[in-house]
Amino acid sequence: MTMMNEYTGFITLFRKECLRFLKVIGQTIFSPLISSTLYLLIFGVNLADKITSQNGVNYLMFIIPGLIAMGLINNAFQNSTSSIIISKFHGDFQDLKIAPLSTSSIVWAYALAATFRGVIIGVAVAMVGELFYWVEYDQFLPISNLFLLFLYILLGGVTFGFLGLSVAIYAKNFDQVSAVSTFILLPLIYLGGVFFSIETMAPIWKFLSQFNPLLYLINGIRYSFLGVSDFGPELTLPLSIGFMFLTYGIAWLSVKRGTYSRF
Amino acid sequence: MNKIVKNILEVNQLHKNYGDFTALNEVSISARKGEILGLLGPNGAGKTTFISILTGLIAPTRGSASLFGLDIQKHALKVRQQVGLVPQEIVNHGFFTINQVLEFQSGYYGIRNNQKHIDYLLERLALTEHKNKLVSELSGGMRRRLLIAKALVHSPSLLLLDEPTAGVDVDLRNTLWDFVRDLNRQNVTVLLTTHYLQEAEELCDRIAVLHHGTLISLDNTQEMIKNLTDREVKIKLASSTPWPGMPAGLEIEDKTIKCRIAHGDAIGKLLTKLKIPMEQLEDITISEGNLEEAFVNLLQQHRNKPQ
Repeated sequence: MTMMNEYTGFITLFRKECLRFLKVIGQTIFSPLISSTLYLLIFGVNLADKITSQNGVNYLMFIIPGLIAMGLINNAFQNSTSSIIISKFHGDFQDLKIAPLSTSSIVWAYALAATFRGVIIGVAVAMVGELFYWVEYDQFLPISNLFLLFLYILLGGVTFGFLGLSVAIYAKNFDQVSAVSTFILLPLIYLGGVFFSIETMAPIWKFLSQFNPLLYLINGIRYSFLGVSDFGPELTLPLSIGFMFLTYGIAWLSVKRGTYSRF
Repeated sequence: MNKIVKNILEVNQLHKNYGDFTALNEVSISARKGEILGLLGPNGAGKTTFISILTGLIAPTRGSASLFGLDIQKHALKVRQQVGLVPQEIVNHGFFTINQVLEFQSGYYGIRNNQKHIDYLLERLALTEHKNKLVSELSGGMRRRLLIAKALVHSPSLLLLDEPTAGVDVDLRNTLWDFVRDLNRQNVTVLLTTHYLQEAEELCDRIAVLHHGTLISLDNTQEMIKNLTDREVKIKLASSTPWPGMPAGLEIEDKTIKCRIAHGDAIGKLLTKLKIPMEQLEDITISEGNLEEAFVNLLQQHRNKPQ
């Protein structure tokens, strides 16, 4: 198995995963984009005047990076899970186990395809947000640190691509994946600072929220977009990188030891 | 100097438990380069478990298996590069066309720009006109053929066929077996499981039989038939009239005597024993045993064995 073969295998799986979600673009891109647009319209535009400013910025500004993060995380996770669950259902997931693909190739191909989908959603949400901002304030919202934003988006995409991969490999049916998404991921996203600053929370919730790894990623994205957030990059960046490595380890073990058999 | 590998497949004391259930029980089998080895057994005998271990889909509880002289667990990626599997269950690929599926499959094996070989496989398997159809639009037989094409995109040296013709019509079965013979002539080693014993008899050089996870026979196909079956001799007579010296209890039905003799026994010996006058003899036909009989007899013997 040469490096070239390994690279070809990785690129093929990455390409296949991207083509998969682009074939059902209505479900995978437009549907989450519509949800985020509605959030922006309702909370960021219509209710913005009635909501106290967060982190010292108006609510539309505050919510744009939050919704970018939410779109990225949710869709990266769902890309890996839905692809693998459908593949297990069809019976072709075992092709990956039989082929000479290394564990790392499988993990990275799924995670980067998930990131690609997350980035498409994130960029689309940012464009819609900028459009609303321009309508409201007659100017575009400048991005504070583009490099840092790119870094956090990459970290968020691969981290939740890894997690989705791990959950789907061990899941025995659609319900189990849906349970993780609804009962774990969604509360962590909603309580992780997408819609409000941690400073507005009661002390007990504020304390508990500090254990939510998504809080640091979402705040990292907000900081790189606006230049303000609950936590600075000196805290959020190392924690997000650490979480990424942790989820990579989990995904690697899942791919190595998990089940590839059909439902 | 490279080590010359005579046995493509070498399995020693392979054992697989699922909880308390033993799916494979200390199985040892080898397959020589370029041979077609049949792996037979009733449903649930452990055939698919055996093949799944060889492809890395499941791990053995204990025992070792090597392909091309390489341990399948230590050198998993190298080994997989040379193995093609046609699984028993039909697979779907909801989002993609046949051609895309085969392109992806080639890519997994590190092969780019494989369209020429893909076109060859599509033609051999009569799928060319369907190459741009989604897999979900194909009939069961076409999906079966797609599985075979998938197993061959990387020109493997060892082809594992796990009941590739289950539920497939006669024409397609014949096409497939012709293709397998062609591949075998190109020195591809084949491990085949099937319930069509006549086809196994025609194709396989050797036959291994599994029963309840245990290997109960491994022999040359013709030797196995010889050892486990009798020859049926039909003697057509001019009339049903008894002759002097006719053995007591010998039945003549429709002017025909039916006898069974072991493969080692001579016809002359039988005729001497029956003392049939030459003028009474009209015709003699001899039917050799077949693999199906041998298989049934073997399982019967095994069931009757004290445990």
